[in-house]
Amino acid sequence: MGLLSIIRKIKRKEKEMRILMVGLDNSGKTTIVMKINGEDTSIISPTLGFNIKTISYQKYTLNIWDVGGQKTIRSYWRNYFEQTDGLVWVVDSSDLRRLNDCKYELDNLLKEERLSGASLLIFANKQDIQGSLSPGEIAKVLNLEAMDKSRHWKIVGCSAYTGEGLLEGFDWLVQDIASRIYMLD
Amino acid sequence: MTISTGVTRENSPFGRHKMEENDQPSAQDPAADAENLERKHAAMLERLSNRHQSRLSGKTDPNSATSFESTQLFLSQFSQSKLSIGSQLSRIRKQPDPTHKADLEAISLDISALEKLVAENSYFLPPYEVRTCLNTVVHLRQSLDEVTSLVIPKKKFSFKNKPTKKNSTAVAEKDAVLREPEKELNVGSEKLGFRDLSTAPGFRDRKNDVLVKEFSINELEGGQNGEFTLSNLRDCEVRLKGRLRALFMDKLINCKVYVGAVTGSVLIEGAEGCVFVLASHQIRIHNAKNCDFYLRVRSRPIIEDSNGVRFAPYCLSYQGIEKDLAEANLGEETGNWANVDDFRWLRAVQSPNWSVLPECERMGMVDVSNVGISD
Repeated sequence: MGLLSIIRKIKRKEKEMRILMVGLDNSGKTTIVMKINGEDTSIISPTLGFNIKTISYQKYTLNIWDVGGQKTIRSYWRNYFEQTDGLVWVVDSSDLRRLNDCKYELDNLLKEERLSGASLLIFANKQDIQGSLSPGEIAKVLNLEAMDKSRHWKIVGCSAYTGEGLLEGFDWLVQDIASRIYMLD
Repeated sequence: MTISTGVTRENSPFGRHKMEENDQPSAQDPAADAENLERKHAAMLERLSNRHQSRLSGKTDPNSATSFESTQLFLSQFSQSKLSIGSQLSRIRKQPDPTHKADLEAISLDISALEKLVAENSYFLPPYEVRTCLNTVVHLRQSLDEVTSLVIPKKKFSFKNKPTKKNSTAVAEKDAVLREPEKELNVGSEKLGFRDLSTAPGFRDRKNDVLVKEFSINELEGGQNGEFTLSNLRDCEVRLKGRLRALFMDKLINCKVYVGAVTGSVLIEGAEGCVFVLASHQIRIHNAKNCDFYLRVRSRPIIEDSNGVRFAPYCLSYQGIEKDLAEANLGEETGNWANVDDFRWLRAVQSPNWSVLPECERMGMVDVSNVGISD
């Protein structure tokens, strides 16, 4: 226990949070990060490997790890699990055909012990596209209610294209992490 | 006064090891100071003689919690224990055998002792060393778990009358569970239940057909700018004019697909012997075989699990295409059509799975102006 408290102290001093963005390819992970950071989102190539963005958010420093979602490189996600405070799972709400893939990959991810303490934010992205599923419908498809009771999670509808819902999602995530890690502040 | 210094000492924020050094007499009284000093001196003498004693008595017990206050000493002891644990583990790993159960328990204790050692010395270690040492402990634990599961296979919990039953059936059961989800991949709409996939806009399950759809500006601005799907088409020609947000294509065989401007992304999954003419912000191509792509794209197109695919610049025309492209931010040629990333070929040399279509084999400008609108 003495050790844990030392690590907590180090982290608390820097007020850092490590956030991992994952999801199927074409779900809009990189676009979300760029939009939040106020960058141009019109030229974004599918991510080969990963991007790291350090963003000051409220009084915290977020280290956002945006990892490519192509099938070939999903097996590398595990390399980024260590020390993750917050997990962001991005869903393309307009891609009805691959929702089963999406559920399968998410279920796999949540089995991972190293992520068991991380807060989970699910972005039902692309809400601006007509015909996309609502966050409620996505929650049903992914069967989120059946998740482990100890998990802190929330699903938020958003559009990385317009920016809608992004701040709401990150506000929740950051508050939730802060209330776990920086309880004493 | 001595009592009060005693109290400060109890509340000292520093660890027990550093207590004496950081003890600040809070009293101003010279008599108390002197008394304090004397006591300190006595304590120091005692410490020195203790240290001398322990030096004489030879080596200290590695498991006892000693503090070295020297990073180097600590690291050498740490790596020594780490090595011995590692070698024991690899010895057992080579011969997994239930008789090693007691050894494993001993190793587990050793790892705990190692963790304790880090904890007890963490007050003077640099944060980096603390982190790496902790990581090492975690890794050792992991490999211990692995070896343990080798030596003693986990039994599946179940309510059975005969607990003596061999666990081979349990393993088979577990395998079946593991395999099951594979089958469920991409089964499509049936599982969604509450919303039928086939009602989403798109062309599906056609053969030998010419399929035309025009996306009008009014639709786009009236919030009708949805996604469009092409699924399970064979020997078809598809013409999508105007602007749309997203395009999904799957299971296309021997088709020609001409598309105006896609302001979002295009996702192709499963295509064979097709020709695509596309303009889009993003293009992802999965499982394509022997297809030609004529692209204008703002970012780098990617292929995955594909081969025999060839790329060339965009070559579509119809009345008003310039306006559609310009308003979709696709007015200018970016040259990205040739910057293909192959996720199955992460090396510096050219991927064997794709090539640039030789100029002499490229088709000319395709004009789709004069085709009536059907839907």
